[in-house]
Amino acid sequence: MNQITKEMRDLARELLASGEVKGLIGWTKGSRWYLTPPLFITRPEEAEQLYFDQFAVNNLTGLLLDYRYGDDKIALFVKGCDSRGIVRLLQDHQIKREKVLVIGVPCMGMSDKKAVTDPRQPVELPLLDKCLECRYPNPVIADRLIGGALVSGEPSEPKGLTASEAAKRGVGSKQADRFAQVKAIEAMSADEKYAFWQAQHEKCLRCYACRNICPACNCRECIFESDKKGWVNKSATPTDNAFFAVTRAMHVAGRCVECGECERVCPMDIPIMALNRKVIQDINELFGESDAGTDLDGKMPLGLFKNDDPEEFM
Amino acid sequence: MQRLKAFPKAKLTAVLEMMIQKATVWVPSMIAGVSRFAPYRPGTDIQMGTNTAISPKEALFPSTEKIYKFSAYGIDGDFEPVDPSVGPQILFGLRSCDMQGILCLDDVFLTRGYVDDFYGSKREATTLITLGCVTPGADCFCASMGVNPAEHDASDAQMYDLGDAYGIIARSVKGEALVKDLMAAGLLSDTDKSQGPTADFVLKVDSEGITEKLQQMFDHPLWDELSRKCLNCGTCAYLCPTCHCFDIAEKKRNQHCGVKIKCWDTCMFSEYALMAGGHNPRPSKKERVRQRFMHKLRYFPERYGKLQCTGCGRCIAKCPVNLEITDVIKLAGEAKSDG
Ligand code: SF4
Ligand code: SF4
Ligand code: SF4
Ligand code: SF4
Repeated sequence: MNQITKEMRDLARELLASGEVKGLIGWTKGSRWYLTPPLFITRPEEAEQLYFDQFAVNNLTGLLLDYRYGDDKIALFVKGCDSRGIVRLLQDHQIKREKVLVIGVPCMGMSDKKAVTDPRQPVELPLLDKCLECRYPNPVIADRLIGGALVSGEPSEPKGLTASEAAKRGVGSKQADRFAQVKAIEAMSADEKYAFWQAQHEKCLRCYACRNICPACNCRECIFESDKKGWVNKSATPTDNAFFAVTRAMHVAGRCVECGECERVCPMDIPIMALNRKVIQDINELFGESDAGTDLDGKMPLGLFKNDDPEEFM
Repeated sequence: MQRLKAFPKAKLTAVLEMMIQKATVWVPSMIAGVSRFAPYRPGTDIQMGTNTAISPKEALFPSTEKIYKFSAYGIDGDFEPVDPSVGPQILFGLRSCDMQGILCLDDVFLTRGYVDDFYGSKREATTLITLGCVTPGADCFCASMGVNPAEHDASDAQMYDLGDAYGIIARSVKGEALVKDLMAAGLLSDTDKSQGPTADFVLKVDSEGITEKLQQMFDHPLWDELSRKCLNCGTCAYLCPTCHCFDIAEKKRNQHCGVKIKCWDTCMFSEYALMAGGHNPRPSKKERVRQRFMHKLRYFPERYGKLQCTGCGRCIAKCPVNLEITDVIKLAGEAKSDG
C-alpha cells in the first residue's frame, strides 16, 4: 500500500469515528488494475477500502450536489484539478462551506486507461493529456492535507510526496498545448469546421454523462429536462445534438474549471474540451486572463458587469 | 456430415459487395472514432476483430424515430402515419451476446399480445449472421450469463473464426438463401478447419440463482451503497443491447403542425418516472439504480424466462464511475437477504 493511501485511510477513519463528518467520498481499487473508481463511505471500518493511485481520475466534487440540500457534513478528497470544482460549487452557492471538509492530496498525474492493451498485465501508461497540460497540480482549497500536499491558488509545480514522480511523468510539461486543438479547429475553413463538428455531434447519444459529472452543471432544473418549454427534446438528431453541445458549453462559460471530466466520460469520444477551451480562450481575450475556480473571492468574468465591458455584438 | 463452407478473410469485401446487391448490410465499422454497426459502403473501415462499442440494436430500434405527423387548426386535426418499414437488411458479424440481446428485444416488442410495428417490421426484414468469438474483450463476461461465445443457435447463419478464414453455416431459410448466393458467386469452398476454443475471460461472475436472491432484496441497504457513485446518466442503458425504454416526444414545426417521435429513454434519468402532477415514485438514485438491476436480473427473467443482461460488457467499459453489473451480481449474491 502506498503512503498516500495509508494517510487517506487513517484520516477517514478518524473523521468518521469522531463524527466530524457523516460521509466521506474517496476512491477505491476497482475490478482491474487500471481502475480506481469513486467510493462513498459512512463507517470508520470502511476506510480500509479507500485507495489512491494514478487511476483515481474521477473528480468527486460533482457528487456533492447530491447532498446540497442536506444537513450532513461530507468530507472528500481532491487532487489539484478537482479542487477547483469545490470553489465552483461554493461560488455558485450549491454547497455551504461548513458542510464540506476538503482533503487535499498530492497528485502524480493520472494515467490514460485507453492505452491499456492487456487487461491482465499492469504496465506503465502514458499520462492523460489533461495532466500533461495541468497548471494546478496542487489543491487550490483544502481544510486538511495528506501526503505532504500544499495549497496553492496560483499555477505551480507539483508538490508533496509525489512531486518528483509527477515531474518525471511529465505533469504540466505541455501547458503550452492547452489551446492547440482550438487553434487547429480555428484554422479550418467554415465548411471544414462544419463537417468536423457535424461528424462529432452525429455521434452524441444524449446520455448526459458530460452534464451529470460536471461540477459547473449544477442547475436545479436543467434546460434539457424541461421538455415542456419546447426548446429541445430527447431526440438525438444531429441538429438537436449540436444545440445541446453548444448550449451546454455556453451554460458553463466562465465557470468551467477545466477538469476535463466531461470529455473523459463521453462514451462517444466527442472532443468536448475543445468547445470549453474555445469559450475560455474567448473570455480570456475579451475580459483578461483568468482561471475559473481558483480564487473563492475573485470575481467571475461573466458574473460581473463593468461599464467598459466589451459589447461589440450590441 | 456436411463439410463446413468457408471464405478467406481476404475476400471479406467481395462477400459484402455481393450481399449489398440485395440488402443493406450492417457491419461493425469505425465511424468518427467510435466502433458501431453501420451500413456497408465501399471504403467502410470494417472492424471484425472486437465487438463494437455501440450495440447493434440501432438497426432494429433506432435512437430516434418518427411515428406520425400531425396538424391541428382549431377543431380540425389530422394525422399522417409514417411507414416504419425498411428494405431487406443483414446484420453481419453479430456476436453471441448481441444475438441474445435481440432475443430480449423480441420478447418485449413482439410477444405478450402486442406487436410493435416499428421494431417488428425491421426485425422481419433482417437476416442475422452471427460470428463466433475466440478472444473475448477486456469487459466481456457473456459466458457467465449463460451465453455461448462460440456460437448462437438463434441466428439465420453462423460464422466461425477459422484464423485466416470465416466458416459459415445456414440455420434458417433466410440463411440458406444467403449461403446459396455465396456459393453461386463462387465465394465459398469446403474446409476441414474448425473454430478454436474461446480464450479465458478476464471478467467472470456466478449469476446462478441471482433472480431468486433479488426477490428477497427489494429493501436491502445494498442499493443505497451501490447507487451513491452513480451519475444517473444514460451511458449504460444507451449502450446496452437489451435496454429498450423509449419516450414519446414531439417536434413542432410551428403552432399547428409537427411530428411525434419515439426516442431512447432510460430509468436512470431523474425525470423518467416523473408523473403529471409532480410525483416521482423513483425520487433518488437508490430507486433508479435498483430498478435498472432488478429489471435486468429479476423482473425480466420473471416475465420472460431469461436474464436481460447478456454479458456484452459495454456498460462496464463505459460507465464513468465503474458501477459494474458483475459487481452488483457478486455483492447481491453475497448479501444477507432482507426477507
Ligand atoms: S457524454 Fe457525450 S454522448 Fe453523452 S450527452 Fe455528453 S456529449 Fe453526448
Ligand atoms: S465543463 Fe467539463 S471541464 Fe468544465 S467543469 Fe464541467 S466537467 Fe469539468
Ligand atoms: S451506472 Fe454508470 S453509466 Fe449507468 S447511469 Fe450510473 S454512472 Fe451512468
Ligand atoms: S447490462 Fe451491460 S453487460 Fe449486460 S447486456 Fe447490458 S450493456 Fe451488456
